[in-house]
Amino acid sequence: MHLDPFELHRPTSVEETVALAGRLAPKFDYLAGGTDLLPNYKMRLNTRPNLIALEDVSELRGVSLDRVGAMTRLADLEAHGGFRSAYPGVLEAVVEVATPLVRASGTLGGNLLVETRCFFFNQSFPWRESLGFCLKADGDRCHVVPQKEKCYATFSGDLAPSLSVLDAEVEVAGPDGRRRVPVTTMYDAAGDGIQRHHLKPGELLVAVHFPPAARTLRATYRKLRVRPSFDFPELGVAAAARLTADGTIDHLALSVGGTETFPKRFDELTGPLVGSRPTLPRVRELAAEVQKRVRPVHNTFLAADYRKKMTGVFVRRAVGQVLGIGEGRP
Amino acid sequence: MAAPEAPPTYRLIGTRIPYIEGPLKVTGRAEYTDDIKRPGQLIARLLRSPWPHARIRSIDVSAARAMPGVAAVLTGEKYPTPFGVLPITHDETAIAVGKVRYIGDIVAAVAAVDEATADRALQAIRVDVEVLPEYTDPKTGVEKVAEPIHARGLNGTNIQKEVVQHFGDVDAAFAQAHASVRVRGSYAGVTHAFTEPMATIAEATPDGRLTVWSATQVPHYLHRALSEVLGIPMHRIRVIKPEVGGGFGGKSDPLPHEIACAALSLETGRPVKILFDREDVFVTNHGRHPTQNDVRIAVDAGGKILAYDIEALIDGGAWSSFGTVTTYYNGVLSMGPYRVPNFRYRGRRVYTTKPPSGAMRAHGGTNIRYSIELGLDELAEQLHLDPFDLRERNALPPHSTTVNQFRITSTSFVKCLKAARERSGWDDKFRKLPYGRGVGLGCGFYISGSNSPIHFTPKMPQCTVHLKADMDGGIAVHCMQADIGQGSNTLLAVIVAEVVGVDLDRVHVVRVDSDVSPVDIGSYSSRVTFMMGNAARRAGESLRDQLLAAAARVTGYPPEKLVVGHEKIEVRHRPDISISYIDALHAAMERSGALLASGAYTSPPMGGDFKGARAGTAPAYSFAAYVAEVDVDVETGIYKVEKVWAAFDCGRALNRLAVEGQIEGSIHMGLGQLMGETMNYRGSRLMNPSLLEYKIPTPQQMPQVECLLVGDDDPEGPFGGKEAGEGPLIATLPAAGNALYDAVGVRFHELPITPEKVVRGIELRQQSGKSWKGVS
Repeated sequence: MHLDPFELHRPTSVEETVALAGRLAPKFDYLAGGTDLLPNYKMRLNTRPNLIALEDVSELRGVSLDRVGAMTRLADLEAHGGFRSAYPGVLEAVVEVATPLVRASGTLGGNLLVETRCFFFNQSFPWRESLGFCLKADGDRCHVVPQKEKCYATFSGDLAPSLSVLDAEVEVAGPDGRRRVPVTTMYDAAGDGIQRHHLKPGELLVAVHFPPAARTLRATYRKLRVRPSFDFPELGVAAAARLTADGTIDHLALSVGGTETFPKRFDELTGPLVGSRPTLPRVRELAAEVQKRVRPVHNTFLAADYRKKMTGVFVRRAVGQVLGIGEGRP
Repeated sequence: MAAPEAPPTYRLIGTRIPYIEGPLKVTGRAEYTDDIKRPGQLIARLLRSPWPHARIRSIDVSAARAMPGVAAVLTGEKYPTPFGVLPITHDETAIAVGKVRYIGDIVAAVAAVDEATADRALQAIRVDVEVLPEYTDPKTGVEKVAEPIHARGLNGTNIQKEVVQHFGDVDAAFAQAHASVRVRGSYAGVTHAFTEPMATIAEATPDGRLTVWSATQVPHYLHRALSEVLGIPMHRIRVIKPEVGGGFGGKSDPLPHEIACAALSLETGRPVKILFDREDVFVTNHGRHPTQNDVRIAVDAGGKILAYDIEALIDGGAWSSFGTVTTYYNGVLSMGPYRVPNFRYRGRRVYTTKPPSGAMRAHGGTNIRYSIELGLDELAEQLHLDPFDLRERNALPPHSTTVNQFRITSTSFVKCLKAARERSGWDDKFRKLPYGRGVGLGCGFYISGSNSPIHFTPKMPQCTVHLKADMDGGIAVHCMQADIGQGSNTLLAVIVAEVVGVDLDRVHVVRVDSDVSPVDIGSYSSRVTFMMGNAARRAGESLRDQLLAAAARVTGYPPEKLVVGHEKIEVRHRPDISISYIDALHAAMERSGALLASGAYTSPPMGGDFKGARAGTAPAYSFAAYVAEVDVDVETGIYKVEKVWAAFDCGRALNRLAVEGQIEGSIHMGLGQLMGETMNYRGSRLMNPSLLEYKIPTPQQMPQVECLLVGDDDPEGPFGGKEAGEGPLIATLPAAGNALYDAVGVRFHELPITPEKVVRGIELRQQSGKSWKGVS
């Protein structure tokens, strides 16, 4: 499979990058680690004639407990002792991304904005052509849920749920300057597998910022997939909690990825538990309710009904763990 | 009674010898087909059918041909001669003629200056077709169909091959049985997923010769197919096999792209290379057949097997490939490791409009074995017998004959059972581990080399080995055997070094090249160690005898008083009187120059006198008894096979390191089929043609493996050795399947056993009211 030619741009500053993006819009993609984008280009999935490599933009680098540059390689995050001990829940997600080789190239920003996935989308050009192109690339219909309006491609990043439950924010640079957006609200609940986030055209992820409170939370990430490495999530559950000295719930957040087109927070279900003492029945109730509300479709390896059922199990285990009342397998 | 003779010991045979080409492979210096670049070479790409079944009305290649940089565009009519690996089922063509039969079938081939140009040319080809009905389910293909996929389908159906066999009286046996069991097994297709994609370079030269380098397991059959289809005599075709990065059966058919590539070189007069991408590899397939089998087993009150009654419905995909053999094997490879006095089998292999299935490691023996071993586990439970005891009672004895006339010589199956039982701690674990954890026993049996060569040329040996020793003291070994990573080059060198008494580094295995390599019929049916090993031994002995004769002239001792020592020839029982290997060699060369020696192997006559009697006959068989221990997360259905105790009878392990590698690799591959690998079809369409979505187990899923090599010497195998390349896969699956039953009380008869099936299985057990290990 060959890669069609493209023009590679190598800006060195955020400002230069954004200006370049403005000039090339919409005929460009940002190139971070390239571990997802370039295979997609080989399959001729929404290729563009320009790639803006972020490799040389130094501001996108750097790891501290308050801020991690968007171009930080996942392997570097994994190797950073301070980060690892401050955010073990995020690290659980980092080490579950793909394989060590992919993490040596793959970046934090790249994982947050990783393309949504679908059995009918992640295929070669001849494969897609033989079936008839789909809504997400070159076509006008969905092969998963037959209709012509909405794309059901699945959100497949591991880091977004784990950063969402810490209330981390992304710093974004664009034509109108810089802004901060909570990770949770960056994704578009009303969008679909194509229009899955609220970033504006040309906007660039600069960094992820962690609020001080993030370091007081106990967090975890659990990933469902067929194999314990390599695979994208078929379900990813992140939970974070803090208990007061007397053991009541002070904070509880839950985010579920891998089941729909965006990672989903369940504040309306976790909120009512704040102020109470954690109990197994309440956790089971919460898990059952979340299970009811997720709507996976059959566009990945494992069947949708199984992924839905597992959402309950994974939520119960994850929330049980962060509340210190775990049951079942760790 | 005389005490049994102690088995002989050897200097190299039976030790642990790393592959001689290993340093080249791990440093990236080994030369694979794609590493070869010929001057001025063109790149070929294939236009593949987007239709599962269609009649070609016309193909317009004019625009593609006119594109700058395009050297040739070929369609099927130019080389319409059908071919196939089996001479009786030639139903493939290099490029589709008249019809396409699966999504991925080759419609046209382009040679261009580079890949991008070739790809653009493919886009410019216009194909006009009449779409025909697709047939995805072999069940519908057993009846008369509107448009048979091949004209050769039986009586207007899509049945490619039907086998009916009956030995003894199965109905009578079931009538008098104390107990019986029925297993309806369902097996998804799996594929080889070797590391190196297929690659071929063809170079037609002005001297009227054609040279083809190809990633193949069967250089000789490729040689024949090229000659037949291209109409060039074999002696003007030269086939070279560079290093091959795995085959597992997937490179054991002569494949259409190899012939198309050669045709493009003939067309252009330039070297042409084709390198598959992973999707090409997946749709070329030839992997293990999707299969439904229905197995009934009858036993007496003591657990003695009375009869097997087996039906198999085998999904062949678009072509015959090895399918006739597959259809026999799905029945007859159930003939061991137990004595089966009555046997009935009906197997049907049906064409479908899917990528062709073919031979894959432990071909024909894997799916049927799983059903039988799960059935025996169930019968042991019914009879309150330990599964080991039931197997031991039924073990085929050494030097016996099966009901269908297989000649069994060596078997150490009972030793395998004893070793696996003892080393695994079976008696403390079976039904005694907590809910969610379990152990299971699965056994295996496989041919050590098919007795019948596929292209049967009477009186031609199945393998010939040539040696040349020259004044430098090196020994060049020529043989067309195909090392595809299984270690046959190393074994060839080891055997020659052992017999001639020299250091291993004196022996140089020359790359397979039909201009100089004598014929060996290739790496399939686990034949290489046995057949090449015997041929190499004989060639080595012939060379050794020339050295002994020369040493006799020099020393004055008669040759029969001389023996080979390490790098020398010495007088028997007088090691102080010796002549060095080099001196003996030079003395031998005084008369004739470089020494030449040859050795060959032909398997002895065997098998019954009935239709299909040759299928499954082999000069020896391997045996196995594996115990697997699994740990199941009963809520998610995710499980891990923690450990496998692999007791295997390959006779004498000639290179222990290689045998252990084959066993470990086989277990990994077997667990892939068990746990998640699947050719995932929706209709005729393969949904997962990538290594991301085709779920080969990762290293984290690999169990600890304890190899128990307990085989006694085989009487005919080289140095007592038998196969260890395919048989070690078979027992893996039922051992793990039975362990899952011990863990959660569910018999999984459908592969792969994905986590969702485990969860569903447990739910169904609970709904049936059956508790397991005290858990409801």
